[in-house]
Amino acid sequence: MNGASGWLCAVLLLGMVALCLLLPATTRRRRWAGALLGLLSLLLMLVEVLLPLVSWTAQAVFWVLAAVTIGAAVAAISMTKPVYTAVWFGLSLLGTASLLLFDGAQFLSIATVAVYAGAILVTFLFVIMLAQPEGRAVYDRITWRWYSKAAAALVAAILMGILTLALDRFARTEVPWAPALEQLDVLHPAHMARFGGELFSKHLLSIEVAGALLLVALVGAISIMIQSGRSPGAPPERMEP
Amino acid sequence: MNAGHEVALLHNYLLVGGLLFAIGLVGFLVRRNLIVLFLCAEMMLQGISVSLVAWARYVDDWGGQILVLFIIVVAACEAAIAMTLILALARRSNKLDMLAWQDLREANVAAYVDREVPEERAPSATWPTLPPAGVQPPVDEQAQLYRNHV
Repeated sequence: MNGASGWLCAVLLLGMVALCLLLPATTRRRRWAGALLGLLSLLLMLVEVLLPLVSWTAQAVFWVLAAVTIGAAVAAISMTKPVYTAVWFGLSLLGTASLLLFDGAQFLSIATVAVYAGAILVTFLFVIMLAQPEGRAVYDRITWRWYSKAAAALVAAILMGILTLALDRFARTEVPWAPALEQLDVLHPAHMARFGGELFSKHLLSIEVAGALLLVALVGAISIMIQSGRSPGAPPERMEP
Repeated sequence: MNAGHEVALLHNYLLVGGLLFAIGLVGFLVRRNLIVLFLCAEMMLQGISVSLVAWARYVDDWGGQILVLFIIVVAACEAAIAMTLILALARRSNKLDMLAWQDLREANVAAYVDREVPEERAPSATWPTLPPAGVQPPVDEQAQLYRNHV
């Protein structure tokens, strides 16, 4: 075992324990301990597991964006109130959008903010407000059986460990093929024009299908709502928490 | 811009994408609120998007970015349908709990029963109130139905 995989094991172990301490059915003190451990493992991962970028500015920007994205994602799955979950998920989405922008996908970054944070997240918030009268339900404060948190965190750690080891072998030995370094087409200044040109020439049929899919989803959502209103289990006047 | 930088960028983005996927997976397996489950599924999709964009840059091909665009489209459709279904389910059972639908389990699996439900903490904030003065107004029954928490 060399140094890199030793650091990787430490990071994964720390992250696993932190997730177990953070996930619901936990006390405030355990949650603080989990947050500290999580921060430590995140820091170790940024410094030791990730590869250094070309300049320190790029490095700093990437570290901040990655830390915000991952931290907000962990906070989203560990909050007991669903509204807080949605808000933290929104922060994680902003981090993801910034990561996409940093990697040269301008259109997708804007689309992520507009569609995910603007439309999907607001739909989630609407449904939370409509369906859950008090945000303090029992089932948000507990999980499944006692081992569910540890088992899920272990699965995630094994997944990440395998992926990282496979990647390390790829990245630290040799470059399988050299990317076109002089002028990456994906990073061309006329990004939107190139993207649109590709989209509406090569993928025209897919765009049509996607539009049809959106329409079908719209009609389906409305018809499900109408059908469920007619069902024998009529909606009660006021929902119990 | 050099080859090492591109490889390092791809490596780091793939790891961040994988972490997002893994965190979403943990949330999906552990949480019980239907809405939170769908948020976790969206988080997994975000992880995939980050990886695809990183590959698109490394291979210098638009395919990855276009696939991410279609992921966003499908996620929007999925969110619309899923939210409608969740709302219909919540109307029937008055809960957003996955456990309310455990009748759908296999015939040979025992029913799951909750144990050791923790005490609910008292609300942390006490809101300021005005001292009562003047004539007692008539009670508005409509206002009694409003919730004081979200």
